[in-house]
Amino acid sequence: MRQYEVATAAILMLIAAVAMFDTRAGALPDPSGTAPGGLGPGFYPFWAAALIFVTGGAVAYRALVSALPREGVFKDRRSIAAVVTLIVPVIVATSSLAWTGFYAMTAAYMGFFMLSVGRYRWYWAGAAAVLLPAAIYAAFELGFRVPLPKSLLYPAVPF
Amino acid sequence: MNEFLSILGDLASGFGTAAQPFNLLMLLIGVLLGLVIGVLPGLGGTSGVAILLPVTVHIASGGPGGATSAVILLCGVYWGALFGGVVTSILFNIPGEPWSVVLLFDGFPLAKRKGRPGLALSSSFLASFVGALLATLLFTFFSKPLADIAIRFGPPELFAVFILSFTTLVGLGAESPLKSVMMIGFGLLLAAVGFDTLTGSPRLAFGHIEVLSGIGFVPVTIGLFGIGEILASAEESGIGHVERLSARVGFKDIREAFGALRQRLHLILPISVIGFFFGSLPGHGATAGSFLGYGLARQYSKNKADFGKGEISGIMAPQAAADSAAVGSLVPMIALGVPGSPTSAVIMAGLFIWGLNPGPLLFVEHKDFVWGLIASVYLGHLLTFLICLTTVPLLAMIMRTPYAIITPFIVIISIIGAYSLNNSLFDVGVTVVFGVVGYWLRKMKYPLAPLVVALVLGDSTERTLRQSLIASGGNPLILVGSPIAAALMALAALMILLPFAKSLLPRRRTASPAA
Repeated sequence: MRQYEVATAAILMLIAAVAMFDTRAGALPDPSGTAPGGLGPGFYPFWAAALIFVTGGAVAYRALVSALPREGVFKDRRSIAAVVTLIVPVIVATSSLAWTGFYAMTAAYMGFFMLSVGRYRWYWAGAAAVLLPAAIYAAFELGFRVPLPKSLLYPAVPF
Repeated sequence: MNEFLSILGDLASGFGTAAQPFNLLMLLIGVLLGLVIGVLPGLGGTSGVAILLPVTVHIASGGPGGATSAVILLCGVYWGALFGGVVTSILFNIPGEPWSVVLLFDGFPLAKRKGRPGLALSSSFLASFVGALLATLLFTFFSKPLADIAIRFGPPELFAVFILSFTTLVGLGAESPLKSVMMIGFGLLLAAVGFDTLTGSPRLAFGHIEVLSGIGFVPVTIGLFGIGEILASAEESGIGHVERLSARVGFKDIREAFGALRQRLHLILPISVIGFFFGSLPGHGATAGSFLGYGLARQYSKNKADFGKGEISGIMAPQAAADSAAVGSLVPMIALGVPGSPTSAVIMAGLFIWGLNPGPLLFVEHKDFVWGLIASVYLGHLLTFLICLTTVPLLAMIMRTPYAIITPFIVIISIIGAYSLNNSLFDVGVTVVFGVVGYWLRKMKYPLAPLVVALVLGDSTERTLRQSLIASGGNPLILVGSPIAAALMALAALMILLPFAKSLLPRRRTASPAA
């Protein structure tokens, strides 16, 4: 547990350090009058990042000196597998959105999930894969005129 | 006394206008459309009212009720969306509006972890109704003096309100207040990404054009709570688990919610008044009001330790504050011609289109319109409340949907919610990234609430800070210059010091026997 606690604080401190480096030019109030009100655009992000850096250091230090349980953060291998099984299709679906469009992606994702996780029969998965995108299309595109991403085949096909 | 009776007379004539069959029909249509808009991800009160604005031109010019019918329709959408936005927050952990973000902290845990979706929904609807009713009473009798006070809240006072909102959340759900402060810093940093609104300089974009428009709170919140929760529950219970729900999904939940409200009236009523006042402040008043309502409820509740785990006060207090703030946002619009929220700004645009000039003269020149609108606020909330309450058992049944159907459904509506706000695929990516980040931070016992509060209010906090300093020529003493700002800042300092003092106390107690 301790190494995960320290690593998490260290990653947040690294993000803060990069942000502080990027905005260092405006870190201090500028009385010369060039910045309106004496504060440049870098002041606010620099000190927000500094807050993360300092508190992150304190969290890491407390994790190092206090008695934390030795066990890992995951219950077992099965729990890691459950998280990976869920997040990988989400990453694949969202990163392919620009090519497949929202409706084809929804159909594929819904059908895949019902077949692989729910073990539904193919016709139930197929029905859901058609009906859900159709209902969303009716509500968003036709009802409220809110366009969702279309596939590369658009406008040859309406989705 | 005479003034009181005159207001009652005006209100009675307003009810006469609002209760005309055509106006009631407009109200019903508005409320139903608002409910649908509120439930649909990515659409909120503002977009719903904006979509219907062109339709109201025909109603105002050709309808039997004129501009009054038009404003009743738009306000009906506003109230409906406020109630509808609650549903996705509580059932799916996906917020619809900035002020429904705070419902994620206790609404979803009560619905899912404690298996009481019916109770969570009815508590929220009931609190909305009570908050809105109280706010409408205040609107009826004190709109003019309150608007005058609200207009005196300048950037330093608003900055102090935002700081107070952050400090009420220090220590929330975290083992250490340090982690809360760290998350506030993280939220403020994320809010600063993109163009600086005052100078136009790019910040923390690292050459990426998509990042210049900033990191929105909606995709981040959907990721942290919606996707993050799916991952966390998959790890805890495995894929394909069946939700453990109370067998008492039904009208008994509504009765229990009434009981819970009776026990918490001492908390809900003052928080509704606070929400109403903050709603009448221009800009992000309603959102700050809902967060402040939550923070105050936590500070003064007997069940402080249960906050973040499904405590009913954590649902009722912010919801009452949010709804009363929504009513409050109409006050400066009607009384001063200054909109209190983005939605009331769109309604105000409607007023101009229909040929009315919002401001103090509206009460004199278009008395029927103003009092018809005020009466419709009462009727609109009653109608929305009754519709919502009767559908609670039906809505709660959604939680019984099998895992393999509800999980991809939540992922899909998360994607719609993230995308449709700015039509941006980058925002969809942000949602997925923050889904993983939220899952990990939760595992490491970092509280997510302070991060979200800081992200939502970060922009406004920076803007008010810099506006204050511009006004004072760079003198920071302006931040405590007025009595209101000084009092709010002192309260904020007290709030931030208390958790640290408390975290030191037990150690001293445990250390002393050993010594």
